[in-house]
Amino acid sequence: MRQIPAYFLAQMKRAMRILPGQLAVNLAVCALAATFACLLIAQGVSEAGGARYRIGMVGDLSDSYLGFGIAALQDMDDSRFMIELVGMSEQEAENAFLRGDIYAIVRVPEGFLESIVYGENDRYVTYTATQGQKGLGTMVMGEITDIASTLVTSSQSAIYAMQRVLADQGRGEEIGRETDKLNLSLINLVLSRVEFGEVEVLGYADGLSLELYYICGMFLLFLLLSGLLNSALFVRKGTALPGFLKARGVGAFWQVTGEYLAYFCLVLTGFFCLCGFVFLGMEKGLVKVPEWEGMGATPFWGLLRALIPVAAMFAALQFFLYETAEGIVNGVLVQFICGIGMGYLSGYFYPSAFFPEKMRTVGEALPTGVAARFAQAGALGEIPAGAFAAVCGWLALFLVLSVAVRKGRMK
Amino acid sequence: MDVEVTGIRKSYSRKRVLESISFTAQAGSCIAILGSNGSGKSTLLSILAGVRKADGGAFLYRGTDLLRRPGLIPGVIGYVPQGDPLMEELNAWDNLRMWYDKKTLRRELSEGALGMLGIDAFLGTPVHRMSGGMKKRLSIGCAVVSRPGILVLDEPSAALDPVCKENIRRYLAAYRQEGGIVVIATHDAQDLESCDVCYILREGTLHPWQYDGDFHRLAEAL
Repeated sequence: MRQIPAYFLAQMKRAMRILPGQLAVNLAVCALAATFACLLIAQGVSEAGGARYRIGMVGDLSDSYLGFGIAALQDMDDSRFMIELVGMSEQEAENAFLRGDIYAIVRVPEGFLESIVYGENDRYVTYTATQGQKGLGTMVMGEITDIASTLVTSSQSAIYAMQRVLADQGRGEEIGRETDKLNLSLINLVLSRVEFGEVEVLGYADGLSLELYYICGMFLLFLLLSGLLNSALFVRKGTALPGFLKARGVGAFWQVTGEYLAYFCLVLTGFFCLCGFVFLGMEKGLVKVPEWEGMGATPFWGLLRALIPVAAMFAALQFFLYETAEGIVNGVLVQFICGIGMGYLSGYFYPSAFFPEKMRTVGEALPTGVAARFAQAGALGEIPAGAFAAVCGWLALFLVLSVAVRKGRMK
Repeated sequence: MDVEVTGIRKSYSRKRVLESISFTAQAGSCIAILGSNGSGKSTLLSILAGVRKADGGAFLYRGTDLLRRPGLIPGVIGYVPQGDPLMEELNAWDNLRMWYDKKTLRRELSEGALGMLGIDAFLGTPVHRMSGGMKKRLSIGCAVVSRPGILVLDEPSAALDPVCKENIRRYLAAYRQEGGIVVIATHDAQDLESCDVCYILREGTLHPWQYDGDFHRLAEAL
């Protein structure tokens, strides 16, 4: 049975022969990824509101109550994290809409508020959006209706009543101050509404700071796509070697084990390169993680420890995909499509919060979703047993399937 | 008889490739298996080498049925598949080290089978830079590590130059002189001349064939 460790050593030798070239590619990718992440973090921190929906407000915004309501929504309400209302002229709004700078245009017709106050209701706010952004209109219109009905219609009656009472009591000098106080109280009422929506942190890593989110995302994406970088190890010709190995007593299980372990070592080498880059960035102060403030490098090493099982799982997935694909070109294509597809479903590229519930459930159950949960927990210094079991489960499944495919090839 | 193969059968899904394969061989003999492409030669040899499982039949080597005791096959049979079972990135030494311990390897290179195959001349050459002949000799070198009693070769002479073919032929002759049995799938005239018995594999069964150097007649028979 000396052939089994000898086969693993031979695979390691292959990996070492490939390593210099792979290391150069890995370093280039790491440098690019690190630069990109630093830029994203820097931009993300300074423009935390960059991801909000910008909506152009056009028309008669002169009414103090409407203006006051919009200002309150913009500065004090939770909706400010999702929507930015920008006052502009008709022409400016149209140009901005065509350029894609704003998602929609809300036109407030002249005399809109008077029409509501006097109960005429013959002026309508129009909302212009593309098909894709139409759903947002319901929310925005709800907000404007809220402003009109709560802040304007009801509050006006209260304010007029209060002003009349003060005037009757001969306290005319207090009217201005008391009106302001009542207005503020009413605004507080408007802002305490809960039906507008729930603010949700976009992406997979609820509860992580932007910096940690990007660091986790960068590591995960690197591990997910490392199959493309290390494809040279999977170049093989037919079934001659597997058949020969079997004839010499090295069956499919030991073949897959030896090859997988060597491949995993290669993936880890690339991964540690990336870690080195991120660690250097942290040491130089280019990358700062709020959660790790004042804790030294310990949480960073904790994250790396947590990512090693994830690296093992992704390596097994990549191994399985190469095992099933015919030829290296097909293998690389399958790697790419599966990696990007699963990453997308699990919210690596686009916040999964926007997906339908069923799709989110599938995305979370996929290896990429499990890896994301595991990495998120690891970044905060926790390793949940359930996520660990899921990672181990996927890892075992991919290896078992790889053995089955190898056996099938030799039948 | 040292080798007795009886009634080996093999099907892929519904297609029966080997109907009932039977032949015998004694120490020092060479059996040639001929057949058109897709006739099942490689399937038969891979069953004898323990790579594929037969649906039925027996393969007795000195009284032991190797199909029932596949764990014995690596010690008894050396198998050289049609493609080269080598790792392209590694050199000849590294490929051989997978099968030989260092001491045995040095001995075999200086005075054993590996020296006879001339592998010592290209030990440091990576496989991807080797000629077809070098690769085939190295493949045989890897296969004979356990000094097997039976050597199974799947078209070893295909696309090789005459010098290389001669080198391999000389080694096989020496191997047979030491009592080894060679089972070879080939269409090479010189290989056929050196074989004791020829069989044509047609419609899943082996038909004895007397090779007389007439290739036209052979083509008709296939």
